[in-house]
Amino acid sequence: MREDLRALLLVTLWDVRKVARYKVFLLMRFAWFIVQVSVFAVLISYLVTIRSLGTSGIGYYEYYLFGAYTALLFSISMFRGYEIAEEFEEGIIEYQLSLPIKRRILAIGRTIGGGIASFIYTLPMMLFILLLLGITNPVLIAIAVLSALAFSIGIVGLAINIVFGLKSGDKTDILFGVVDALLVRLSTIFYPLPFLSVFPPYFYAAMYNPLSNMADFLRALFFFQDLKIFIHAPPENLVSYIVGLSVGLSILAMLFIERRVEGGGWK
Amino acid sequence: MVFGEMEPAVEIVDLVKRFGNTIAVDKLNLSIYDGEIFGLLGPNGSGKSTTLLIISTVYKPTSGDVYVYGKSVVKNSDEVRKYVGIAFQEPKALWVDKPYEILLWHAMVVGYSMSDARKVVRQVMEDLGVWEYRNKMFSELSGGNKKKVELAKVFIQKPRLAIFDEPTAQLDVITKHQVWNMIEDLRRNGSTIIVATNEMSEAERLSDRIGIMYRGKLRALGTPEELKDGIPGGDIIEIIVDGPVRESFVEAIKNDIDAVRIDLKDAVIRIYVNKGEEKIARVVDMFSRGGLKVRQISLKEPTLDDVFFYYTGAKLAGDNN
Repeated sequence: MREDLRALLLVTLWDVRKVARYKVFLLMRFAWFIVQVSVFAVLISYLVTIRSLGTSGIGYYEYYLFGAYTALLFSISMFRGYEIAEEFEEGIIEYQLSLPIKRRILAIGRTIGGGIASFIYTLPMMLFILLLLGITNPVLIAIAVLSALAFSIGIVGLAINIVFGLKSGDKTDILFGVVDALLVRLSTIFYPLPFLSVFPPYFYAAMYNPLSNMADFLRALFFFQDLKIFIHAPPENLVSYIVGLSVGLSILAMLFIERRVEGGGWK
Repeated sequence: MVFGEMEPAVEIVDLVKRFGNTIAVDKLNLSIYDGEIFGLLGPNGSGKSTTLLIISTVYKPTSGDVYVYGKSVVKNSDEVRKYVGIAFQEPKALWVDKPYEILLWHAMVVGYSMSDARKVVRQVMEDLGVWEYRNKMFSELSGGNKKKVELAKVFIQKPRLAIFDEPTAQLDVITKHQVWNMIEDLRRNGSTIIVATNEMSEAERLSDRIGIMYRGKLRALGTPEELKDGIPGGDIIEIIVDGPVRESFVEAIKNDIDAVRIDLKDAVIRIYVNKGEEKIARVVDMFSRGGLKVRQISLKEPTLDDVFFYYTGAKLAGDNN
């Protein structure tokens, strides 16, 4: 058990230690995010007026910020999936499979490590919007951090399942592009759910979309009273969905890797 | 060493590995004994690397099994990996990785504490002459230094079963000897070693026994001396002539001196024959009478090269089929 925990920690570190190597990437994404939330978000919030909102001054701008952050967290978590696929193409999988580590530990460690790395990439962006919104409650911030971490672990788990399911770099690229585009658009990232009810398939797709649940949870966490009419489920349901997604996809990735890779399934 | 009486470190039983319609390993049976250095020889695509990847549990057999210190790679792969360390043919690292980080992480995964890992990584990197490159990006290293970093993983790990896949490819002569010495040290410290190689000199220098693979099958097995002695027509008369040689002429020589086999490629003829010293004069005479000018003629005992050529097909005759 102790050996397994040590191995899990080391496998997790494999991904986490890579964060420092992408400083330029991180800076560019951060700079772009600042432009997005301080220029585009302000402009678009002038265009969108929601009459049913209360008088607290909370409006589409706040709604948009959490959507933009969730979209970014999702994209970066999927990007970790690309990186893992690329590592495997370069033969890292063969090296890791030869190490004295149980397959399950390897799979779960890569999923958790990838999730933590993705979350660390987006932490400056999360802190920036909390700063913009003047949020200082440490308990709420801690819950937001943990839920974002759980979400990114789930999405990395999803990406790993795709990578191992397809076993092809090119097919993976195409499917990641499609999944990325569909999940971001068919969600409540930028469009509140009540407005989507005119088109039921879109409405239901958005309701069960992981991005909708993550973005709406962050909205509910910080501005429940002001934004509750747009949030499709109670916060406890939303967070249960996120935790379930994370645990479910991680376990799926673990079992899938065990089945697919044991014995050279990768190639 | 009396190999038959030793404990097997690795037992390969009816091993088959297919990739689609291609059979990479075809009913391989082989025992590798505790404490020996076993050389696995074969041309590219002969199934050596696939066999090693199965032993190290990276690939799963299509059928058959491999037992490493009694543990099955199919049923107890977690246990097997505790015994095995492998240096791959192609170094495995990401371009952004730094050698020191790669090896430190590896050392900790194979069980060292952080402080011991630092010491052993430094020691092995210094032994291999790559300490000065420890903080360079992997992509900036020369091919030889990349290979040394790959080899360092096994020297750090000191596994009970150490596997080297073409360990000295891309290395200069001095480093080759250094690596061979380190492999021998590893064995002296109790490891069983498997070395897959294309280089005869490497196999001959290191190996207690050699297995020759070709097209997924084991074609020959024995000590280097046994393999050399095992070639039918143990002596080789090698002749280099000016001009082409007709097949009919080759056939005539074969019949006349009772040669076991003759390989012909361009102007080089290799005649495998018994009692070559008694027949060389007759061969020269036949060439002379056949109007062929002999530029060079030599009589030699078979080398491991000859063994390799003999068991892996008539490569000198240009027969790649």
